Order: sequence, then C-alpha cells, then structure tokens
Amino acid sequence: MKNNHTPTRTGRLTRWIAGAAIGLMALVVGAPASMAQGAESVEGQTYVIGTDTTFAPFEFRQNGELTGIDMDILHAIAEDEGFKVEVRSLGFSAALAALSANQVDGVIAGMSITDERKQIYDFSEPYFESGVQMAVAKDDEDIKGYEDLKGKTVVAKTGSEGETYAKSIAKQYDFTVKSLDQSATMYESVKAGSAVAVFDDYPVLAYGIAQGNGLKTVTDKVPGGSYGFAVNKGQNTALLAAFNDGLAELKANGEYQQILDKYLADPTVNTPGNFFDLAVKSFPALMTGLGNTLGVTAISFAIAMALGLLFGFFKISGNIVLRGIATTFVNIFRGTPLLLWAFMFYFGLPQLTGWDISVWTAGILTLSLNAGAYVAEIVRGGIQSVDPGQLEAARSLGLGYGKSMQKVVIPQAFKMMTPSLINQLIISLKDSSLLLAIGFAELLYQGQQIYAANFRVTETLLIVGVIYFIAIMALTKLANYADKRFNK
Amino acid sequence: MSTASEMNSQVKIQVTDLHKSFGSNNVLQGIDLEIREGEVLCVIGPSGSGKSTLLRCLNKLEDITSGTVVVDGFDVTDPKVDINEVRRHVGMVFQHFNLFPHMSVAENIMLAPVELKKMNRTEARAKALELLERVGLKEKADARPASLSGGQKQRVAIARALAMSPGIMLFDEATSALDPEMVGEVLQVIKELADSGMTMVLVTHEMGFAREVADRVVFMADGVVCEQGKPEDLFGNPQQARTQDFLSKVL
Repeated sequence: MKNNHTPTRTGRLTRWIAGAAIGLMALVVGAPASMAQGAESVEGQTYVIGTDTTFAPFEFRQNGELTGIDMDILHAIAEDEGFKVEVRSLGFSAALAALSANQVDGVIAGMSITDERKQIYDFSEPYFESGVQMAVAKDDEDIKGYEDLKGKTVVAKTGSEGETYAKSIAKQYDFTVKSLDQSATMYESVKAGSAVAVFDDYPVLAYGIAQGNGLKTVTDKVPGGSYGFAVNKGQNTALLAAFNDGLAELKANGEYQQILDKYLADPTVNTPGNFFDLAVKSFPALMTGLGNTLGVTAISFAIAMALGLLFGFFKISGNIVLRGIATTFVNIFRGTPLLLWAFMFYFGLPQLTGWDISVWTAGILTLSLNAGAYVAEIVRGGIQSVDPGQLEAARSLGLGYGKSMQKVVIPQAFKMMTPSLINQLIISLKDSSLLLAIGFAELLYQGQQIYAANFRVTETLLIVGVIYFIAIMALTKLANYADKRFNK
Repeated sequence: MSTASEMNSQVKIQVTDLHKSFGSNNVLQGIDLEIREGEVLCVIGPSGSGKSTLLRCLNKLEDITSGTVVVDGFDVTDPKVDINEVRRHVGMVFQHFNLFPHMSVAENIMLAPVELKKMNRTEARAKALELLERVGLKEKADARPASLSGGQKQRVAIARALAMSPGIMLFDEATSALDPEMVGEVLQVIKELADSGMTMVLVTHEMGFAREVADRVVFMADGVVCEQGKPEDLFGNPQQARTQDFLSKVL
C-alpha cells in the first residue's frame, strides 16, 4: 500500500502544518479553498481536489491529460452527484499539505487509510482494496519465491506497506531491504541489478508491467490496506457524504468494476517505442515544462536583480541600519535551503496570512529571494572591486555621491559583475527544478510525469538533461554576447 | 609669481589648527596655513609626514577631525556648506591619474560640466578640446585612457580637473607614478598653469621643480609644518635641523 512518496518528510511537514494551523485556525477557517464550504448540498458546487502527480495507475498524465483510477472514479462520482471538481496535481506530500492549508477541499491520491491519518482527516468508504506483491526482472530465472532472496537486496518504497511487509519477512528469508522514494526508480534499480526484487503495491506493479517496465511478478499478492478519499476533519461533510453515495452508486451499476478493469485487468499494452519515438511523444509536454522553467527563471531573476541592487547598495552604505537590513536579508536567504522557502511560501504563508498563494507566486518568491541574496553579494563585491580613486576623482569634480556612483562606479562595477551575474542566472535556472516539490510544472517535473507513466526513467531523464543543457548553453552564449556587446 | 604673495592679494585657503586622525594615528597635529590668490605653494617632506592628507583635507576628501579649513570663504567643516559646490572651484590631480576607463578622453573631461548642467554636450566638447589642446593632446580626444602613456594620462587628468574652471588646483604627487622620461611633459603643463596665475597647492618630491615654480615652500614633518619660506631661502638656507636633514638626503 502506498503511503506516500516521501513519508518521513511528509509526516513532519504535516505535523508542523497541523501545529501551526491550531494557532491560526481563526484565519484559516475564514479562507476556504472553495466557495462550497459548509453548504448543505453539493449540487452545482465546485470543489478543489488535490492529487498526486505520478502514481500510475491511480493518477498519471497521458498525452497531457491527468487520468487514472482515482481520476475516473472522482469524475464519475462528481457527474453522478452533480458537483464540479477542479483537480490540482500537486504531488502526494504537497496535496496533503495543501489540504491542511485549506488550499484544496479534498485529496484523492491512492492514499491508504491509516489510524494515524484518521486523527487529522475524515476518510470516505474505501474505494480500493490494495495489497503488496513482489516483482523481479523479466529475464530473471533465479528468483522464484521469497526463499531465493537469501543474501540478496530488495527495494521497497519508503514508508509504504510494501516496505513494512518486506521488512517483516526479511529476517525469515535472510535478505536486505533498501528503501527508495518512487516506483519508477525502484524498477530501474531492479533492472540495473542493484536489487533483485521490488515489493510494491500490486496495482502499481501490475500497471507498470503492462506498460513494459521490464519486470514480472513471481509471487501471489499479500492483501493489505484500503485507499480512501480524504477531507479535513470535520470539514466538507457534504462532499464526503456525496463521495460515499456516488461510490456506492458506481459499485451498484458496475461502472466501478469497468474503471478498475480498464487499468488493471486489461491495460492497453504499451509497445515500447524506440528512443526517437519517446522523444517525439514527450516533446510537447517537455517544451511546456521548458517554457515554465524559463518563465519562472526570467521573472525571478529580474526581481532578484532589483533586490540585489537595492541590498547591495545597502551593504556598502554608511548607514548601520541599512547595512544591518541587507546583511540580515543576505544571511537568511543564503543561509537556508531553497526548498525550505518553496514549502514555506506555498504551504506556510497561506496559513499565516489566509492568502491564496499560487504555485507561480510561491516559485517566484522562492527563486527571486534566494537569487536576490546572491546578487546583493555580487553587487557589493563588484562595487568594492572598483578602485576607490574612481569615486574620489568623481567627487573631487563636484559630482554628488549618487551621480558619481551612477556615472563612474556602477558602469565599471557592472562590467566586473557580469560574469558572476550570468553564473547566478544559470544557477537560478537549474535551481528552478527544485520547484517540482511544490508541483510547479517545470521541465524536470514534466519529465517525472512522463516516466511515472511509461517507466522509461533513464531515457526520459536523458532527454530532459539534453534540453536543460541546450537551453543553458544557448543562454550562456546569449549572455556572453550581450556582455561583449554592452561592456566593451 | 613675485606679486602673488603680496599682502594685498585675497586669501583663497585658510587652514586653522587642523587635526586629522586615522584611529589612534594622529596624522595631522595642528596645521595653520594661509594660501593667497595666485600663489603657488609646494609642500615637501618625508613620507608619512601628512602632506597628502593635508591636501585631501582641503577639498574634504578626508573628514576633518578638528580645526577649520576655509576655501573661497566657505568653511568646508561646516555641515551646512555644500561640499560639492566648493569642490567645483577646486580641481584635483591624483598620483594615479584616476581617469575613468569606460569613457573616452573627451568624455572624461566633459563629465562634470555636462552632469552639473554647466554646459550642454556641444559646449562641453568644445571646452574639452580647448583644454586638450592646452595640454597638447587634442588628437587623443576620442581615445580610451587605456591607450595613453602615463604622462599623457596625467595631462588628460589635469585637463579634466580644469573643466569646471576652478580657481584653485591641488596636485597630489602628480609625477610620482610616472616613468622618468614622462615627468618633464607633465611638469611643463603644471608650470604653464602656474605661470597663468592659478592658485595651486602641490605635494611633490620634485625638489628642482618646487624650487622653480613655487612662491613658497612648506616643509612638513610628523604632522606639523616644520618650516616654510621662499624656495631660495628654504632650499638655500634651511633653519631647522629636520629640514636640513631631509634636504641633505633628497638634493
């Protein structure tokens, strides 16, 4: 059973958010994610539902559309019960954090119903009975059962029931369990030979095998927990009731079984195309990702330049207060990880303020403040590297400090800063890939979406890497050309 | 300049009990000095005696610890006085030229007149060319400073300092960073300036030159004025032991 991709972090994050939420409940309650909160009837309402990005066959992208068992069930129920849904594909951890932050009304993400989670969320009736199964590489003739695992290493998903089960029998069969974060990477490590077998949720395994992930199952599935749809405890009761009602209806009229069969019993067998086919097929999604990567980098870097100039000047100012402000700014954003701020702005800030922070806003805030701190240091260094005699000469002519800086010092400083600024721009572009953690649809995120559905991890990453490389080379050439052109 | 030190000419710079410290280092320890209009004053003395610091106090490139410096009737130590206004009347030439490398020679000279709205670009360029002609570098107007020799750079720097038509010129070891064969051309320009009646204060190590152009020579040691007088007296018949000792080493 899937718990989530990175359960340890999520657990902590969720607890942190839950803790913060208690103190800020008054603010939070006043800012529901949808207008439907507290309504008696769900009819005609629109609900915002958070989900995972990459958990085939429950949710994954096919030709750009989010599809899968969760999505089909959700849409069928919504149609049945007469409400509308707006699905946000955030990633598992992010979806739960967004639920706690009331940015979404509910979460459906192949989530196991556990006692721990019941403390924070209200769950629907189970809509899927899962179980754990073991798979090995397709051409592996040695491993036919657990007893063949003696002395070997297997992989399982961190915090999942697959991991729990594998560990529970590890001693008995004398094998080692290594934990990884994503299904696709687990399968890769089995194919690569660093592990001989994988323990994973059976529907995920079955789907992956059907998609040609290069594995086969050799043991029976072990029955496990159930998946449920979740809302915040005590909230959106009408939505939860409608979900249960609609689920019963789907089961009664057979539509439920059709959905499961579509993905599990008879999945469209994927004939693995060649590398070129993969590149062509994934190209549109990756170009969208590249566009978002370049967009968020460009906007953030423009803001970072403004911040950097301001704080860079503060740093060399004679005023101790301004210097203190600049030093604090630089130390905070240079001294803390980028990812922390991405989480803080996307999950923390909405709770603190009640504002609805979009993933673009959070991404731009994160990147621009981080780059701004580095640019401030570049500006300070650039200005200080100009011979003090230059400022003295300008001042001795009767020019004021501002004029002297503007006409004499800055043009020379800027010339010296340019290589460092180009460097920082490239770092920011690469750093923007971290925003995938909050579900920002940049290039690497799109790549993950693709390999989560087709399990061709290495090839997809290779394509993504080439696109990054070409984009950064082009940007470097452009920047160097501009440098030569304007700093001559 | 025999008339320059006559008592009836106007006082251009009045320094009274000037002290300047860098931390615990008392570089100037009570300087009193008066410079009259048209006077050429040379300041000599061993390194570390405070010559350059004294010069830099005159246009407040250094903050003054105590005492007063009055230039053209403005007390530069008074915070209400617009120091930028005072500096427009005081040209300064630096040891290391400090030309602006990102501008052409003409632009270096035009910067202050244009930015301070004293002239439009056309007038400023005409003025720059006129000044360049005066220092013998008219053909270098559109060159970059980096392409000039040290002597040429310093002549451009002098032209730049003259762009605002100052009434006073300060020279801070203007020939110390030059190769020996270039010293002459720069001294020639300075001498012509002195002959034109400009009020000038020069910190210099060129004793022969000081003797030739100065109306008065000030010998500084350890942050005080040790001895001053007409060049023929100070060089020919120094009264103080410190002066005699210094001159015996440099002459």
